[in-house]
Amino acid sequence: MTTLHPDHAHEQQGEIEIRHHFDDELDEIRRGLVQMGSLVVENTRRAGEVAVENRLDLVDAVRAGDQPVNALYRILEQRTCEILALQQPVASDLRFLIAATRILYEAERSGDLAVNIANRVAAQNGFPQLAEIRNLLARLVTESTKIFTSAVEAIANLDPEIGINAEAADDVVDDITERFFGTVHAHSAEIGLESAVELSHVGRFLERIADHGVNISQNVTYVMTGTFPDEDSDHLPE
Amino acid sequence: MVNDMDDTVDTSVSLAPGTADFDIDLDAMIAPTGDEADDANPVLIDVEDLNVYYGDFHAVKDVTLPVRQNEITALIGPSGCGKSTVLRCFNRMNDLIETARVEGKVEYHGIDLYSKKVDPVEVRRHIGMVFQKPNPFPKSIYDNISFGPKIAGYKDNMDDLVEETLHRAALWEEVKDKLNESAYALSGGQQQRLCIARAIATSPDVLLMDEPASALDPIATLRIEELMYELKEDYSIVIVTHNMQQAARVSDRTAFFSIELGEGGQRTGRLVEFDHTTTIFTNPHEQETEDYITGRFG
Repeated sequence: MTTLHPDHAHEQQGEIEIRHHFDDELDEIRRGLVQMGSLVVENTRRAGEVAVENRLDLVDAVRAGDQPVNALYRILEQRTCEILALQQPVASDLRFLIAATRILYEAERSGDLAVNIANRVAAQNGFPQLAEIRNLLARLVTESTKIFTSAVEAIANLDPEIGINAEAADDVVDDITERFFGTVHAHSAEIGLESAVELSHVGRFLERIADHGVNISQNVTYVMTGTFPDEDSDHLPE
Repeated sequence: MVNDMDDTVDTSVSLAPGTADFDIDLDAMIAPTGDEADDANPVLIDVEDLNVYYGDFHAVKDVTLPVRQNEITALIGPSGCGKSTVLRCFNRMNDLIETARVEGKVEYHGIDLYSKKVDPVEVRRHIGMVFQKPNPFPKSIYDNISFGPKIAGYKDNMDDLVEETLHRAALWEEVKDKLNESAYALSGGQQQRLCIARAIATSPDVLLMDEPASALDPIATLRIEELMYELKEDYSIVIVTHNMQQAARVSDRTAFFSIELGEGGQRTGRLVEFDHTTTIFTNPHEQETEDYITGRFG
């Protein structure tokens, strides 16, 4: 298991591992973030099915699927606050807890976006099934989910590399999103203006989920290296 | 024309093996607060309306403070607030001061500690104490541990008891090859852990600690704190500390004491707030507590 302070190399055998229970508390936060992120991945995938396949029967499941995400958000935020107050963290411990509060925000917003997607499809009673649009939308779901999945893996393995390469991975999503907008626009007369607007919203939501994933990975890089991957790039939530 | 698209959602994206398997117990992560947690651990030392006087001097007034089993209870507050006085009431150390008078209820396992039938020496066997400055006996490491049990009439294998006790105090590995050397040869932090070992050698169930780490460097301090955390599985600990960050790091519940100025400028200690440590340090109920822990006064 990956932890912030994996080996107690300074410890002699039999001695007390200094701040061992503090390490456990930090790791509980890390595992909580992974669990929360995994739930968001799952729900994004489900929301994608709702949008691409018009699976209106899954809308309620998407809405329900966000509740544990919100619950984890509240619990982990409270725990993070308590650890900050009680343990006086510094250096990598402090960076981890600061990043945890940001990651919580990013993941919680992503969970909401998945619900928004399902709600938009439900409000339209499904989208017109146009192969060209549908294929691009499916692609967008896949790529956005992939980026968010990598972000969860970054937390799970405390891997700084994923954040360093995240912007490049996100370019793929941005590219598909642009093509998706163009295609929806080109077919707007055919599918109706309202559907075109709602489809565009769904596309934007998926692109935002990928952005949140990028921010999460970059926060992991910050935890592990002390700096954001590209200080010029915008790591702040838009 | 788009031609490189899949027809359906690719669901092959999956987390690395093991990543999604974490199963966090949400309920367990919510720190118990307020009434729901109040029956979590049984009360071991029940203090109600405790008042302590030294002659005419009213040192501490109206303290009500349940000490719970397998918890660390921290007493914090400015100098002269009576926190050490309260701690010393728990094993009748104030008896040693002639003018001291204790009023109110101090019950241990439901027994009135100040009843005439109670032998204070017996009390201190059950409720051990560790002081600010490490004060090992001028004897060998081994004898420091065996001394108490010997007096208490311990009949079993003393070597085993010494080893087990030193293990519990996380000192065994450091001293196992020099058990017959003087305790004074140890570092300050090791001496303090030896004193903790000595205190637990007679199998008490409460440990009172009066500033146990204030004479130690930061690393030795963290070792003592980690040891306290380990020990609370078997013991209940009450610690007096003027280092409130230490109280925050180590304790389950915190009692904040302050000083009340009486007529003629008499300074009497008073319990301001007693709650879960998380509550005290994230959202205390009393403004006075907030002002003290944020460094606005005291």
